[in-house]
Amino acid sequence: MNYFSFYKDGKALYCLIFTAILFTFSSSFAANSSRHFSPIFQQHRVQGIVMDGNFPLPGVTIVVKGNKNGTITDYNGQFSISADPNDTLFVSFIGFKTKVVPVNNRVEINIKLEYDTTTLQEVRVNAGYYSVKESDRTGSISRITSKDIETQPVTNVLAAMQGRMAGVNIIQTSGVPGGGFDIKIRGQNSLRSDGNSPLYIIDGVPYSSDPVGSYVTGTGVYPTLVSPLNSINPDNIENIEVLKDADATSIYGSRGANGVVLITTKKGKTGKTAFSIVSSTGVGTVTRFLKLMNTQQYLAMRKQAFINDGLTEYGIYDYDINGTWDQNRNTDWQKELLGGKAQISDIQGTLSGGSENTQFLISGNFQRESTVFPGSFLYKKGGGQLNLNHHSDNNKFKISFTAGYNIQDNDLPAYDFTNEARYLPPNAPALYTADGQLNWENGTWSNPLGKLNSKFESKTNDLLANTLLSYELWPGLILKSSFGFTDLVNSETRIIPSTTYDPSYGITSEDSFLYLNDTKRNSWIAEPQISWQKPVGGGRLEILLGSTFQSQTTNKIYQSGTGFVSNSLIYNLAAAKRITVYTDDQVVYKYQAFFGRINYNFKQRYIFNLTGRRDGSSRFGPGNQFANFGALGAAWLFSKESFLTDSSWLSFGKLRSSYGITGSDQIGDYMFMNTFTTSGKIYSGVSGLAPSRLFNPDFGWETNKKFEAALELGFLKDRISTSLAWYQNRSSNQLAGVPLPGTTGFTTLQSNLHAVVENSGLEMTLRALNIANGSFNWTSSLNLTFAKNKLLDFPNLESSTYGQQYRIGQPLNIDLLYNFIGVNPQTGIYEFEDLNKDGKITFPEDKQAVVDLNPKFYGGLQNQLAYKGLALDFLFQFVKQKNRSYPMGAAGQMLNVQERMSGSWRQPNDTAPYQIYTTGYNNDVLNGDYLYTESTGLIVDASYIRLKNISLSYDIPLNLKQTKCKIMLQGQNLLTFTKYNDGDPEFISYGYLPPLKVVTAAVQLIF
Amino acid sequence: MKTIHNLLAQLLLFMLLGLLFSCDSFVEVDLPKSQLTAEAVFEDYNTANAAMTNIYSTVRDKGILCGAPLGISNQLGNYADELVTIENPAKQGYTFYHNSLLPSSTYVSGYWNAAYNQIYAANNIIQGSQASKNLTLQQKNQLIGQSLFIRALMHFYLANIFGDIPYVAQTDYKMNSTLSRTSIKDVYKAVILDLQNAIPLLSPDYLSEERTLPNAAAAQALLARVFLYDGAYPQASNAASAVLNQTSLYGLESSTNVFLIHSKETIWQLQSELEGQNTADGSYFIFTSVPPPSLSLNNNLVASFAPADLRRVNWIKAVSKGAATYYHAFKYHEKNFTPASKEYAVVFRTAELYLIRAEARAMQGDLIGAKEDLNKIRNRSGLGNTQAAGRQEILDAVLTERRWEYFSEYGHRFFDLKRFGKLDAVLSTVKPGWDTADRLFPLPQAELAVNPNLRPQNPGY
Repeated sequence: MNYFSFYKDGKALYCLIFTAILFTFSSSFAANSSRHFSPIFQQHRVQGIVMDGNFPLPGVTIVVKGNKNGTITDYNGQFSISADPNDTLFVSFIGFKTKVVPVNNRVEINIKLEYDTTTLQEVRVNAGYYSVKESDRTGSISRITSKDIETQPVTNVLAAMQGRMAGVNIIQTSGVPGGGFDIKIRGQNSLRSDGNSPLYIIDGVPYSSDPVGSYVTGTGVYPTLVSPLNSINPDNIENIEVLKDADATSIYGSRGANGVVLITTKKGKTGKTAFSIVSSTGVGTVTRFLKLMNTQQYLAMRKQAFINDGLTEYGIYDYDINGTWDQNRNTDWQKELLGGKAQISDIQGTLSGGSENTQFLISGNFQRESTVFPGSFLYKKGGGQLNLNHHSDNNKFKISFTAGYNIQDNDLPAYDFTNEARYLPPNAPALYTADGQLNWENGTWSNPLGKLNSKFESKTNDLLANTLLSYELWPGLILKSSFGFTDLVNSETRIIPSTTYDPSYGITSEDSFLYLNDTKRNSWIAEPQISWQKPVGGGRLEILLGSTFQSQTTNKIYQSGTGFVSNSLIYNLAAAKRITVYTDDQVVYKYQAFFGRINYNFKQRYIFNLTGRRDGSSRFGPGNQFANFGALGAAWLFSKESFLTDSSWLSFGKLRSSYGITGSDQIGDYMFMNTFTTSGKIYSGVSGLAPSRLFNPDFGWETNKKFEAALELGFLKDRISTSLAWYQNRSSNQLAGVPLPGTTGFTTLQSNLHAVVENSGLEMTLRALNIANGSFNWTSSLNLTFAKNKLLDFPNLESSTYGQQYRIGQPLNIDLLYNFIGVNPQTGIYEFEDLNKDGKITFPEDKQAVVDLNPKFYGGLQNQLAYKGLALDFLFQFVKQKNRSYPMGAAGQMLNVQERMSGSWRQPNDTAPYQIYTTGYNNDVLNGDYLYTESTGLIVDASYIRLKNISLSYDIPLNLKQTKCKIMLQGQNLLTFTKYNDGDPEFISYGYLPPLKVVTAAVQLIF
Repeated sequence: MKTIHNLLAQLLLFMLLGLLFSCDSFVEVDLPKSQLTAEAVFEDYNTANAAMTNIYSTVRDKGILCGAPLGISNQLGNYADELVTIENPAKQGYTFYHNSLLPSSTYVSGYWNAAYNQIYAANNIIQGSQASKNLTLQQKNQLIGQSLFIRALMHFYLANIFGDIPYVAQTDYKMNSTLSRTSIKDVYKAVILDLQNAIPLLSPDYLSEERTLPNAAAAQALLARVFLYDGAYPQASNAASAVLNQTSLYGLESSTNVFLIHSKETIWQLQSELEGQNTADGSYFIFTSVPPPSLSLNNNLVASFAPADLRRVNWIKAVSKGAATYYHAFKYHEKNFTPASKEYAVVFRTAELYLIRAEARAMQGDLIGAKEDLNKIRNRSGLGNTQAAGRQEILDAVLTERRWEYFSEYGHRFFDLKRFGKLDAVLSTVKPGWDTADRLFPLPQAELAVNPNLRPQNPGY
């Protein structure tokens, strides 16, 4: 019960949430029991089935006219309702035209609903503090639903979004389970590479994506620290909305600059209690390997390197070629170390149902995934989700409660073998001796599998609870408040036992290490709001006022132990002779805001939306804590103008635009203070204190001004709908960790820069219902983004510390490189352009070629085909970009290299693409290789088209009343088309496992 | 049911009103429990002293003077002709052995950044102590004296590794981020001044039993070395004598005791982090099986000793398997933890002062005095008096003696060859990758990128 010992601010709130839960339980019980006794009053029972022409439709709402009586069809499309013989039924369902059916004394009525393509515009889109009808939306919001998520065998919510949203660029940074993702919504706004994360909100509660864990205890298999986002279970998500422009994000003020990701979990629905179970299993493998040299090619290269360096005999340590190692061995190390199959399995059960007043949903899930590395490692994730909704009979009082609890247990190797698998000589010794022991080949190599003994384990428990209460005080005036609570406990353990090393080194458990890092983060939020709506002057006016209070506390303790009696006690800190506590810290972040929205919708044609927020954050020093943000959005539904209402081809037309200011406070806590921090190092009996940072008390909010204009069109009764949005965001007063020379004692300083960064782009979406004839449906959707990032202004850039990093008019994500010319046919060494003509290649004068590594455009093309019970859904993701080829070091050393290096320069007058081999003694060649890795020579086209996702499902026709069974085959990253030669084109960190290719089979049962 | 709903609605309204009007102080937070404000640190000697001792633990753990494999004992040994590395080419240590350092090397920037961070911490203490209202004069002197010593020490090493470097004597980042390079001559001038200021502030006795906190003699020893490097021979002799004359505190030990914790030869040593821990150099240099895991002593160095030399006997160990024999430095005997620590990393020891004075005397023409000092070192190691005659021969004998006495210790060999102008002559024959420009490390590329005043890069990079 430790984490319920709440801090003073939260106690009251927590009690309230708890009380609210109790009330919800009691009222739901009451509501259910009252329903059970109601049938006595029924006069006439009508039953039947609702179909779409071919298939039964579950979840269709049927109401008796003039009467509150209503029901919903079950999973077989069947319904039963009490009605008078001369009543009329209203039958409605999203995506279909509402049908009016007179009962006419019938007791059995079978109803066929017709598809209504126009209702896409009727969908209500979640905008965070309010929701808005798709057609009336003034802001830019992208959306995916559970339908898109369910087809994907993924464990991370960001993976589910990849390639599906215009303006949202997501890159997976590691193919190891539990790894992270890099997300940028409409480009990089901040100069700080870690200052570009969007705000995540789950059911109204902000979810901190700040990484947990520590680089020291962390596993070497992730390029980044563990992201808490892994705790979110994609299976629980009903829909994800991404807010992009000022109109949508300004109400999030300081935290909206990088966009907002709203995650809504699944909710209980009125209807019969249903149980659904989905189970899937599959395998993951590496998508592409590098083409490396085999032993024959490798040894030929090595021999040539010795000749080139004028060395007549092999060194005693040149085991690969001096006869120590078998020169006939040939191991494909990539296959050996990365060629495994990751086993993936997932099971999920959901129970949901409810009465008219009260609905519930309970779900549980469990996933496990192994790695492609040798050794047995498992990532396990399990959790439960509970949702309860209730409203009073008069519909005035509503309460919704959602709680999710997720546990992750991630057991991984402490090292990623990706790099080693690439550079190990192909004739390096066998991993195991004949008797199954690790082979150290008489101490001539460091067996990579020794590292498997060093293990990493991360356990994360994550609780997220939210209650939303609302009460309609007078018609149109609603009071509501949400209360949220999150609690995350992460503990990381890393061991380096003595068995990691060659036993002949004589290292004992006395030198085994244990590192422990525990992070606890909890936060609460309260957001009381008033909303009011009323018809005013021929239109409808909506006003929302609210405030936010949020507090987040993070505790971290990081310690290590060494000196164990035995390696079998290595996980026990108490068994360590020497224990060091490096960090024991608590960080508090507090945030307060007032926000509001005024929306006026005139004649369903002209819509204005004004939003604003005043924010205060504890991350800034006195005097800089508060700032104002706001935006104005407008939309014109011109298709509703009289001159277009009769158009046969144009069914929907809207022009919208918005402008506003958002901000960012992603700067870390306490940065404005001049302090010393305990270092945990004891010297001469004193525990040390180190200066924390160079401090700057004066930094303030970063602002981001966003402009957007968009056109949305629907043709042929919205069978074809398209949108075109142009945006231009400018962020200024950049909050940056300004790089400083080491001579200042530190390498960065938190400060505001007067630089202006512009992100502009064009986002297109197109959705077409190609065929819809009842039994066969085919829908295609395309999203395409052209994005440009530009540094507009930077006073004194040349003389600033950013002088060799940025260029005015160029993107932030550029590389300044040497201009590669080629191999000098006489010397055999790489040549580069000598820009300042001083006869040598110097930094920074000659390192000025600008290379833009931002994607030129990216997008996705999705096709959904359905024929009777068979459905096929596939998504192609495409990215036009450049990237670096994989640098392997100068060829000729005791490292394997790409096979293409066989074409290296050998003798004068050779024209070769690669320079002369060296064993490591020719410094000119080594320098040439170094310059090459910093040159345009390394930059290649890394564009790709990828079959990101494919899913085939089949509804087995069962003649059972309540039972449905569906089987699914799903694949992720199955095909990749690219010119890129050095492995997977989707990578941003060297030496880490890229995303895997995954195939799974799944069964879904509903009864 | 209805009453509950009404109750909740009222509560909601109440909260809403309450929260809408609450005050701005909500977003003010207290200091985290691991931090203290800078002012508070210098109002209490215990916390000010904790800031001081923290510098020593960072010197031990980070940058130039830290233990192997990162520190210069290992890397300059590889860089010169003392050690042979067998690290994988993908690893950075390999570039030291091959004299192929790159401006982007994280070792190079690590040395630079750590040294200046230690200098910043020292300047911060000087500034904080001076402004303190509560510290006594004696406490201030101790803190300022030690800080001046650290500042001098780090600048001295930076200058010898990188050549002309900025001399930083203040904490203001605005000033420190645009500094230009100061010539070595001027760096030495500033270092000498710092040390001369530090010596009267520091106590002649040790504040710690194990000589882990520098005293006046440590500053004297460094001063003697700087004078020598700077060519100020009379001053170098005098500074050396100032320590050597304190015979009750300092003297030469037998070769087996030199590196033990209570050695009388030690002037300043760095305490190990944990109880029972010994030196990082011992852990890294010593190996028990062949081929060695990372590196071995250069066979040329081993062969250069006279067989009877006690340093060859006691400070070097052979490990054989079949016909293959490899040697490792055995100055520190402890590879692993021991119940109580037996050895700490010795930064300054008395032997160097004899060698400094021998060289300074020879330079001034006092050949007899020079030989007398040189013989002290030779006799301790079981060798007879030097046969060198004449100034040049004696100087050469000093250089050779230093090679034997100081191998694998804080890059002495490299600095000696450089001071004697013999880097090219000696290294180009034994190191295929050597060229003249390797006498200086490259300045870190990141540093040149952010401070244009440091350009151009050192020649050859």
